[in-house]
Amino acid sequence: MTWINNIKRLLLAGVFLAIQLNATAQNFLGKNIKLALYSSTPLEDIRAVSNKCSGVIIKERREIAFQVPITSFEFDRKLMQEHFNENYMESERYPQAKFKGVIDPGPDLGKDGVYQVTATGILTVHGVDKKRTIPGKISISNGEIQVSAAFKVACVDHKIKIPKLMFTKIAEQINIKVEGKFNQLK
Amino acid sequence: MKKFRRFLVPILLIAAGAHAQDADSLLKTLDSVDKKEKIAATFKSTHVVLSHSTETEKKHDLDLRIRHHFGDIGGKFGSAHTLYGLDVASDLFIGLDYGVSDRFTVGVGRSKQEEMFNFSGKYKLLQQDLAKTMPINLTLFAQMGWIAREPFSENEFSKYSDRFSWIFQSIISRKISSRLSLQVMPGLTLRKNVSDTRDPEALVSVGFAGRMKLTKRFSFVADYTLVNGLSRPTDLSQAYYNPLGVGLEIETGGHIFSLNFMNSEYILENNFITNTKKSWTKGGVRFGFTISRNFTLFKSKNKDPDKRSDIY
Repeated sequence: MTWINNIKRLLLAGVFLAIQLNATAQNFLGKNIKLALYSSTPLEDIRAVSNKCSGVIIKERREIAFQVPITSFEFDRKLMQEHFNENYMESERYPQAKFKGVIDPGPDLGKDGVYQVTATGILTVHGVDKKRTIPGKISISNGEIQVSAAFKVACVDHKIKIPKLMFTKIAEQINIKVEGKFNQLK
Repeated sequence: MKKFRRFLVPILLIAAGAHAQDADSLLKTLDSVDKKEKIAATFKSTHVVLSHSTETEKKHDLDLRIRHHFGDIGGKFGSAHTLYGLDVASDLFIGLDYGVSDRFTVGVGRSKQEEMFNFSGKYKLLQQDLAKTMPINLTLFAQMGWIAREPFSENEFSKYSDRFSWIFQSIISRKISSRLSLQVMPGLTLRKNVSDTRDPEALVSVGFAGRMKLTKRFSFVADYTLVNGLSRPTDLSQAYYNPLGVGLEIETGGHIFSLNFMNSEYILENNFITNTKKSWTKGGVRFGFTISRNFTLFKSKNKDPDKRSDIY
């Protein structure tokens, strides 16, 4: 009866391989996602942009994750950039900010279309984890996913201290804007 | 069935492996922290206490620097009679440093002592990076000092070129940790205006400096320049001392205040390396401060509205 066993093995191997292939086919990667931050006070508006944010969507499990190197944020004034890294974000200690979560139940991500969604997960900034539900928009077409989101991060939530001594003012809530394209991982 | 199980287990493991390729491990493959990235802010300021640091101005940034050294705290010229030196202004300095590029800074200033004007250039040649392929910062510094005062005696500046002095320094620093930065500064000073004939016109010096961050905005800074005894005899008729300065640096975003104690009467390198006549041990220590304010000269040409910062 060895031939039956052989066929069984082959069938099983086939099934597992199919699952595996399927699993990789469901992953989407995004590189050079644009991440902009904006701090507004009556004294000054500070903006910065990073194009080095990367992201992953695992469609099957509705997982979504982003990460960005803090030092990749570019400011108008280099001194601001230095202060941002040195004094506020402590980039040498906490080189990355991260969000890892799950797209909340709602639209079927298998179908093309534009969906308003929320993702719930952990936002890690300045080494401090914070559970967040972040609203965003997902457009799916031809194996490509476009994601955009806008939300606020409170400095106090992530232990980013704004000293009273500052001459230039930084807002207590920083506006974040994310915009990027995810391509299917082949 | 034994065989079958033997076959099944690795397949399951491989399958599980595929599943374990979750968001985290995928993100890891995209890890975009640039290891070639330069290490910034080895020092907060372009100066430590008396000496220059390896830092240069950012491109198009102008730094207005106002410095003051008071008189002796103790000793014959200090104590309560001069309010511990606060009655005396031993040196005053106003200077501007401008970042031509992120690496190249030009500076001009004027000091009360000798009515000296200074013109300097500072070039950041090497910069320490994260990947540890470059372990140090190296900045080249050159400064000309021009004594503008009237001569004290008829033949003091017999040639006009005697009014000029030159400093050349290689400034080497390393950010040891985010809190601690250390620096060494071998240098050469050339001058004509010497009071003692045995005092060489060319002086070799080695400076040492450091910064210790106490909090994010307060740092303890210190520098010491070894000059006597190197190429200079220690038994000159006028006693000279090696300048030692310690200070507390306070950064407030655009401003840097520095509260200093040092034995040198002078502010400019061309004076303090060559002529420090006060000693820490004989009441010659004095208080001084520095105010540095940074301006960005040119309005941003950033077209990207997401990047443009506005100050109202």
